[in-house]
Amino acid sequence: MFAKELLKQSLPLLILCGLGGLVAGSTLGVMTDLLVDIPGLIVIIPAIIAMRGNISTTLGSRLGSAYHLGVINAENIWNEELKQNVIGSLVLSFLVSITIGILAYVTTIIFFDISPNPVKLIIIVLIAGVVSGAILTMLTIVIIFAVFKRGYDPDNITGPALATFGDIITMLSIFGSAIIVEVIL
Amino acid sequence: MIYSWKKIVRYGLPLLTLCILIELFAGQILQSGQNTLLKIPIYLISIPVINGVGGNIGSILGARLASGLHVGYINLDIKDKKMHENLITSLLMGIITYTVLAILIYYIASFSRITMGISLIEFVFVLLAVGALLICVVSVVSIFTAFLSFKKGMDPDDFIAPVVTTIGDTMGIIFLFLIIGVA
Repeated sequence: MFAKELLKQSLPLLILCGLGGLVAGSTLGVMTDLLVDIPGLIVIIPAIIAMRGNISTTLGSRLGSAYHLGVINAENIWNEELKQNVIGSLVLSFLVSITIGILAYVTTIIFFDISPNPVKLIIIVLIAGVVSGAILTMLTIVIIFAVFKRGYDPDNITGPALATFGDIITMLSIFGSAIIVEVIL
Repeated sequence: MIYSWKKIVRYGLPLLTLCILIELFAGQILQSGQNTLLKIPIYLISIPVINGVGGNIGSILGARLASGLHVGYINLDIKDKKMHENLITSLLMGIITYTVLAILIYYIASFSRITMGISLIEFVFVLLAVGALLICVVSVVSIFTAFLSFKKGMDPDDFIAPVVTTIGDTMGIIFLFLIIGVA
């Protein structure tokens, strides 16, 4: 009965992931001063988190299907198929980060009567995007490997696990890079 | 070899760019509601939880549909029984998860002495209302994305998570402001 299996494998993880979201939320709660000081910062947060979540969950989802298709397995995980997936994810992270910075600047000018510092915004996004991208890609492989070993269905687990670790790591990366940029520039 | 990084970037980039455009719109909504969120920070803290759970449930559903379509045990049919079972399980998981998390958030927030201004019942009600609306939206979006991309001969895995989480994030923030406004 797959509904039971789905509940058993996914529900505890979903709740755990929600707690992860709470950690990310609390980081956001701590950042209130930065949010007031750097106009445009709150605007880029959903975009960076989404980019991060999207890139790593599509990676996890593709690797899940690769597993179902028999292209990768626990004994043969670090092969060319996986490498192509990893390179693709990292290139996407870099390109999309730059795009977010530029678009956030432009839309903030259009929607509000404030003009954020474009250099600051772009640098914050780039540091946060690339650093969290590198960490999360490694984490994806570790999680996929652990899931394979246990014989679970990766589809039930990688998505939520990555989205959550992704949220925490991304929020911390944004927090860190915002502080660094605010101090230096 | 079935994967190539250039293909992943080429397929991923247009959709991701569209997604971040929508997310930036969500960000602008946050910017305009920033004062409300700073006044009742328990909602600010809840945003990643609401969006995270909604996105996760939609993505699990989508990933399962994608694998089912790839392997062939789910058919491209709105009346497919396996798909219906998956859908109902998603709704059930959503209700349980949001209830548990709402209670946890409330107690953790009151532990860390965050200004609340609302009762537990009120907060659980708000989160459940936002959550129920959100799950309905992400589930429908997930099924449509999976079926449509598969039908067009594309890999649903490349599309489901981005589409579901993007629409989920934006709708999550909109539903939250809506329900706060009503409650």
